[in-house]
Amino acid sequence: MSHIRHRIEKWFESFAGSVFKHRIKTIAIMGIIIGLMISRIPGIMIDTSTEGFFHEKDPELLAYNAFRDQFGRDEGILIALKPKAVFDLKFLELLKQIHDDVEATVPYIDDMTSLINARNTRGEGDRLIVEDLLENWPRDQEDLNALKRQAMSNPMYKNLLLSENGDYTTIVIRTQNHSSIGQKDDIMAGFDDDSNEASPDLGDSPTYLTDAENSEVVAAVKKIVTKYRSEDLGIEVAGSPVVTHFLKQSLMSDMRKFMVLALVGVAILLYLMFRRLSGVILPLLIVGLSLFSTIGIMSATGTAIKLPTQILPSFILAVGVGTSVHILAVFFQRLRQHNDKKEAIEYALGHSGLAVVMTNVTTAAGLMSFATADLAPVADLGIFAGIGVLLAFVYTIVLLPALIAILPFSTKKTEELSGNSKSMDRLLEAVSRFSTTHPRKILAVSAMVMVIAIVGMTNIRFSHHPLHWFPKDNEIRTATEAIDAALRGSITMEVVIDTGRENGLYDPDLLQRMDRAAAYLESFEYNDVFVGKVWSLNTIVKETNQALNEDRPEAYRIPDDRDLIAQELLLFENSGSDDLEDIVDTRFSKARFTMKLPFVDAINYRPLKALLNDYMAAQFGDVKYHITGMMSLLAKVINNSITSMAKSYTVALVVITILMVVLIGKVRIGLLSMIPNLMPILIIIGFIGFTPIPMDLFTMMVASIAIGLAVDDTIHFMHNFRRYYELSGDPQKAVFETLHTTGRAMLVTTVVLSLGFFIYGFATMQNIINFGRLTGITIILALLADYFVAPALMVLVNKPMKPVEITKG
Amino acid sequence: MNSRKTMWITAITLITFSLPLFIGHAAADDAKAREIMQKVEDRDDGDNQTSEMEMILIDKFNNERIRKIAAFSKDKGEDNLRLMFFLHPADVKDTAFLTVDYDAADKDDDQWLFLPALRKTKRIASSDQSGSFMGSDLNFSDMTSRNLEDFDFFLKKEMDVNGHKTWLIESIPRSKEVVEETGYAKSLSFIRQDNYVMVRAVRWVKDGGYLKYIDVKKLDLIDGIWVPTEMHITKKKGKQTAHKTILKFNNVKFNQELDEAMFSVRQMEKGL
Repeated sequence: MSHIRHRIEKWFESFAGSVFKHRIKTIAIMGIIIGLMISRIPGIMIDTSTEGFFHEKDPELLAYNAFRDQFGRDEGILIALKPKAVFDLKFLELLKQIHDDVEATVPYIDDMTSLINARNTRGEGDRLIVEDLLENWPRDQEDLNALKRQAMSNPMYKNLLLSENGDYTTIVIRTQNHSSIGQKDDIMAGFDDDSNEASPDLGDSPTYLTDAENSEVVAAVKKIVTKYRSEDLGIEVAGSPVVTHFLKQSLMSDMRKFMVLALVGVAILLYLMFRRLSGVILPLLIVGLSLFSTIGIMSATGTAIKLPTQILPSFILAVGVGTSVHILAVFFQRLRQHNDKKEAIEYALGHSGLAVVMTNVTTAAGLMSFATADLAPVADLGIFAGIGVLLAFVYTIVLLPALIAILPFSTKKTEELSGNSKSMDRLLEAVSRFSTTHPRKILAVSAMVMVIAIVGMTNIRFSHHPLHWFPKDNEIRTATEAIDAALRGSITMEVVIDTGRENGLYDPDLLQRMDRAAAYLESFEYNDVFVGKVWSLNTIVKETNQALNEDRPEAYRIPDDRDLIAQELLLFENSGSDDLEDIVDTRFSKARFTMKLPFVDAINYRPLKALLNDYMAAQFGDVKYHITGMMSLLAKVINNSITSMAKSYTVALVVITILMVVLIGKVRIGLLSMIPNLMPILIIIGFIGFTPIPMDLFTMMVASIAIGLAVDDTIHFMHNFRRYYELSGDPQKAVFETLHTTGRAMLVTTVVLSLGFFIYGFATMQNIINFGRLTGITIILALLADYFVAPALMVLVNKPMKPVEITKG
Repeated sequence: MNSRKTMWITAITLITFSLPLFIGHAAADDAKAREIMQKVEDRDDGDNQTSEMEMILIDKFNNERIRKIAAFSKDKGEDNLRLMFFLHPADVKDTAFLTVDYDAADKDDDQWLFLPALRKTKRIASSDQSGSFMGSDLNFSDMTSRNLEDFDFFLKKEMDVNGHKTWLIESIPRSKEVVEETGYAKSLSFIRQDNYVMVRAVRWVKDGGYLKYIDVKKLDLIDGIWVPTEMHITKKKGKQTAHKTILKFNNVKFNQELDEAMFSVRQMEKGL
C-alpha cells in the first residue's frame, strides 16, 4: 500500500513540475476551455415553479402537462377585493375600472373573469338570455338589489367570484399555458402548413410560459394592486404564479447575498491563515473559475437554477477552496524553508495530492448520490455541485502550479507561532488526552446519544409546504391564508375523466354520477383540508337545463335524456361562451373535474387523495380517470422527497463505505471509520425529529451533503493515525500526533465549511435557513466525532506494538 | 394669473392635445382600401340559397369530428334570413337555428333555437358575436356582414395568392366595443383583384394570443356567383395549431323557391 502511495506522490510531483515548465501553454489551454464554458452563462434560466421539481419524464408531470395541454393552465392569479359593500354603484364602477385596467396592462392573459363579465345564462319566459352579468349596468338601488339576488344565488359564483357572505369579490386571471417567445415570426408562414391536408402539425413541443413572462404578469398585477388599494378597498393577491414569482425574487437576492458573504468570509479566513495577498487571490480565483464553469455547464445543458440549486455558488466557493488551502499551506511552508518556487510546489503537490484526491472524491460521491433523486433539482444539485467540486480540484492542481510559476513570491521569515496557535495546541492536547484515556466512557455516551437519536427519528414528520417557507408576515402568505378562509381555497386538484368515446360525456348516468361525486366531495373535511368547491361539465349542463326551463329551481339538474344533453351542450357551445374549452375536449370524450382546496401542507392532502381514489374506483370503474392538478403535484413532491432520500442515503452510505475501505486499505478499519462518519448524521436526523422542523426536500439533503464533507475529516484522521501508529506502535501517541498536525487543519476546514453553511441563516426563506443551520451543526458534530469517537475507537482496537519499518521518502 | 393668460393657456392646451386627433384621423384611413372593401361588401353573393354545410373539426391532438347542416338563406330587403338544420351527428339531428341578420348597425341579430329533445323553441338574446359558430373556428361575426364604418382600412401591399393578384388590407376596429363584439383585435384580408373575393385572412383573436388563419381552398363559380366551397380555418398560437376547421359547402344552389314563411319558428319545429 505504501508503495502505491509513494508512486502516486511521485506522479503528483512530476506533474507539478511539468505544469510549472509549460506554464504559458497550460494557462492558455485552460483559459480557452474555461472561457468556452463561461461564455454559456448568459443563457442560464431560473425556474421556481412546482413543475420544476419534477424530472421531465416523471409520470406525474407528464400527466399534468397532458392535462394543461388539453384544458389550459389550472393555476391562476386571484385578486380578492374587499370593499365596504360589493353591490354598491361606486364600487362596481371601480371594479369595472380595475377589470379594464387588468385587461389592458397585464400581459399573457388567457382568460379573466370577474363580476363584470361573469357568465350569466338564464331563462325568462321563452327567452334564453346569455350575457355578461353586468352587461346592463344597474341604475338604482332596485337594480342593485336584483343584481345581488341574482349573483348571490348563482351556484357557479359562490366561492369563485363571491365569498359566501358576500364580503369578498374576485378577479380571476388565468395566464396562457405556452410561451409567446418566437411568436412574432413571419405572420404569413401560418398558411403554409396546409399542404398536409387535415392534419394540423404539432410542431416542436411548445415551451410553457417562461419565468420571465410569469414575472411580467405578476409585476403588472402588483402595479394595479398598489394603484387601487385604499382604506376602503382591501386587496389581496394569491395563486401559484405569485408564489413562483416571489420565490424567484428571493432566490435571486439570496443567491447574491450568499455569494458575497461566502466570498468575504472565505477571503478573511484565507488571509488569517496565510497572511499573504496571493494566499487570498489564488484560491478565490481558482474556485471562482470553477463556479462560473459549473454554471456555464448548467446553462449549456439547459438546466435551470431552481430552489435547491440556489445554494450551489456559495457551496462551491466554500467547499472548493479546501484543495487550494491544503496545497498552499504546504507550499508556503516549503517556500519559506528552501526559497525555490518550483521545488516547493512539486513538494506540496506530492505531499497533499493523494489526500486531496481522496477528500474530493468522497465529497463528490456524497453529492452525486443525489443524481438518482426523483426530484429534479435535488438531482441537479448533486450532479452540478459534484462537478463543481471536481472542477475546483482539477483547476487547483493544474492552474495553481502554472499561476505560481508566473507570479513573483516574496519569501518571508518563518513567523513565530502566535498566541492563538499555542492555545489551539493546548486545546488539542487536552482533547487527545481525554479521548485516549476514557475511550469506553466516550463510546458509552455515544451509544446513549445514538439511542436518543433513534427515538427522535421515529418522530420525523415529512412535509412540503412552500407557503411556510415564506416569512410569517409575508404578504403572499397572509393573503393566501385570508383567501383560503374567505373563499374556501386557492389551489386545485383535478380529475380527468376519459370515456374514450366521442360524445361519451353525453351519458346522463355519467353526468349524474359526476354530480353526486361533486356533492359528496364538497362535504369532505379533514384536519385543515376541505373541498371548497367542485365544478365540471355537470355544472354547465344543470345551469343550461335550468335556463331552458324558465329558470325553475327544480330544473337545476342533469336531464335523463341523452339527446337533450347533446342539444343543450350544442346550444351552450353556440351561446357565445368559450367556457367549454376549459372543461371538455372538443370530442366530448374527456372532462375535467375541478376541486378547489386550501393551500396547506402537501402531506395533509394524502387522506383526500386516498379517499378520492377509492371513490373514483368504486363509482367510475367504467371510464378511465386520473388525478392531477397543482395539489397533486405538491403531494407528489412529498413522495418523491421520501424516495429520493431513501435512494440518496443508501447510495451515499454504500459508495462512501466502499471508498473508505479502499482508501484505508483495510476492511475492518474502513468499516470502523464509518462510525464517526455516520454518528453526526444520525444525531442530526434524530434532532430534527425532536424539533418542529419538518423533513422536507431541503432538510433531507443535510445528511447526504454532510456525510460527504464529514468523511474528509475522518480520512485525514485515519490516514495520519496509521502513519504515526506504524512509526511508533503506540496508539495513544499516534492520536496525540495526529490531532497535533492534521487536527489543526481539520479545525480550520470545519470552521470554513460550517461558516459556509451558516451563511444560509441569512436567507429569506425558512427552509434554506433550516438547511444551512442543520448542515453547519452536522459538520461541527463531525469534527467532534473525529476528535473524540475516532481516537477512542482507534485506542481500543489497536494494541501497542512494535514500530513498522517503512521506507523514508 | 390673469384671466386672459388663462384663456390662452387653455386654448393652446386644447389645440396641442386635439391636434393629434385630427392628424391621427386624417391618416387613419385609406380611401383606396375602403373602396376595395366596399366592393367586397357589394359583391353579389346570391339569394335564395340552399346548401349542405359540412364541418370537420380537428383538435390539437388530431381528433376529428364531423357535423353536417342543411342551410337555407334568403334576403329580405337589406336584411338576411338564415335557417339551419343539423343533419349529423344523430343526437343533435333536427336541432334548428333561425337567424335574422339586420343590416342596421345598431340592431342586434335575432336568433331562435329549436331543441327537438326539449320540444321547445327558445329565443336567444345575445349581442356577443365572438362565440364559436357551431363549434367551428369561425365565430358569428365571421358569418355576418360587418358595418364598414366600424373599421379603419389600410392597403398594405399587393401579393400573389395561388397565382391570383390580391390586395392585402388591414382592418382595425374603431372602438373597443367592436373588438369586444367581434372578438378580434385586428385582421388582415387578402382580396382577389379580379373578383373581389376574400381568399385569405389572418385574424388576431382578442384573448389568449391566438391567430386565426382563414384560407379559401376552393372557389367555385356557381350561377355566376363566386362561392368559396371549401375553407380551412386554423387557430394557432405561435407555430402551434390549437384547433382547425375544414368547412365545405356542397350542393350550393341559388334562386331556389324559398318562401319567406319558411324562415319561421313553425318551420323549425316541423323540421325539414
